[in-house]
Amino acid sequence: MSPNQSYEPEKDKDEHEGGVPFFPDHFVKEAAVMALVLGLVVFLATLMPAPMGEPADPLKTPAGIKPEWYFLSVYQILKYVPKTVGIILTFIIFPPILILFPLFYKQITKWRYGRLLLHTLVALGVLLAVFLASLAYLGFE
Amino acid sequence: MSVIDFLDERFGIRKGAREFANHPVPDHVNWLYCFGGITFLCFLIQAATGVLLAFYYEPSTTTAYSSVLNIMDNVPFGVLVRSLHAWTANIMIIMVVFHMLRVFFHGAYRPPRELNWITGVVLFFITITFGFSGYLLPMNQLSYWATKVGTEIAGAIPLIGQYVQAFLLGGDKIGDATLTRFYTIHVIILPITLSALLVAHFLMVRKQGIADPL
Repeated sequence: MSPNQSYEPEKDKDEHEGGVPFFPDHFVKEAAVMALVLGLVVFLATLMPAPMGEPADPLKTPAGIKPEWYFLSVYQILKYVPKTVGIILTFIIFPPILILFPLFYKQITKWRYGRLLLHTLVALGVLLAVFLASLAYLGFE
Repeated sequence: MSVIDFLDERFGIRKGAREFANHPVPDHVNWLYCFGGITFLCFLIQAATGVLLAFYYEPSTTTAYSSVLNIMDNVPFGVLVRSLHAWTANIMIIMVVFHMLRVFFHGAYRPPRELNWITGVVLFFITITFGFSGYLLPMNQLSYWATKVGTEIAGAIPLIGQYVQAFLLGGDKIGDATLTRFYTIHVIILPITLSALLVAHFLMVRKQGIADPL
C-alpha cells in the first residue's frame, strides 16, 4: 500500500493472497528458529547459572551500582542532564511520542514536506538507536 | 467416535484449523519477521519457569533470599529453572527491541496498523517493567540497590513522583510491603495485562495481515 493512498480494507486483504500457507511452510521456519532460541537459553543457563550475590544490606552501599543493561542508556542520560530535565525527557516526552506517532502518519504524508520529515525521522531513529547504545556502553564502562 | 469428531460436530474445529493452517503468509516474509514469535516463545518460557519458581519462592524480606538459595541448592532442577528465567528475561528484551526495530524500519506501523504499534509499544514497556520488578525479588545487594535507585528516579517525576514512589515502596523505604507489591506486580498484574494485550496484538495481525515493506 502506497502511503499516500487512503486505506481500503478489502484491497489490503487481497494483497496477501497467494503467499505461502502458514502451515506447514511458515510454521516450520518459525519452529526451527524457536528451537534454536530454546537451545541457546538452555545452553546459557547451564553454562552460566544465574548468580546469587550477597544478601541485601541497606547499610552497605556497594561500589559502582549499575542498573540492568536495558536501563543503562536512561541511567546515563540522567547523569549528563539535570535530573528533572532527564526524567521529563525519558518518562514524559519520549514514551507518548513512541506510542502515538503512527496516528499522525496520514497528516504527515499529506503535508508538502511530509516525506522529507519521515525520512529525517527514520535517520533520527537510527541515530537514536546508536546514541542509546553508546550511552549504555559508557554506562557499562 | 474420536475426540476430534466430537469437537468438530460441536464447534466445527476442522474448518477452523484448516483456515488457520492455510492462512497465507506473504512471500517477502524472511527471518527478520521471526523476532515477534521468538518474543512470544520467551514469554511462554518465562510463564512456565516463573510458575515453578513461585512454588518455592517466599516473598518477605527475611525469607526471600534464603528461599531463592534453597531453589539454587536443594530444589530439583532449581538452578536450571531459575537460570532459564534469568537468561530468558534478557533474551526476551533483546527480541522485543529487534522486533520493534524491524517493524519501525519496515514502516509496518503505518495506517491501518497504528493500533498494533501502540499495543506493541505498551507490551515493550510491560516487558521492561517485568525486568524491573523481577530484579528485586531475590533480595540480594544488586536487587536492593537497583530498586533503591529505580524508585528514587520514579520519585523525581514532576508532580506525581512522590505518589508513584509511595505506591511502589508501600512505605518510606524498601521493606516487606515493597517486596509483596513488586511480587504482585510481577506475577499477577503484569502477566494478566501482557496476556490480554498479546491476544489483541495477535488478533490484529491475523485480521490485517503482515504489512508490505516500504
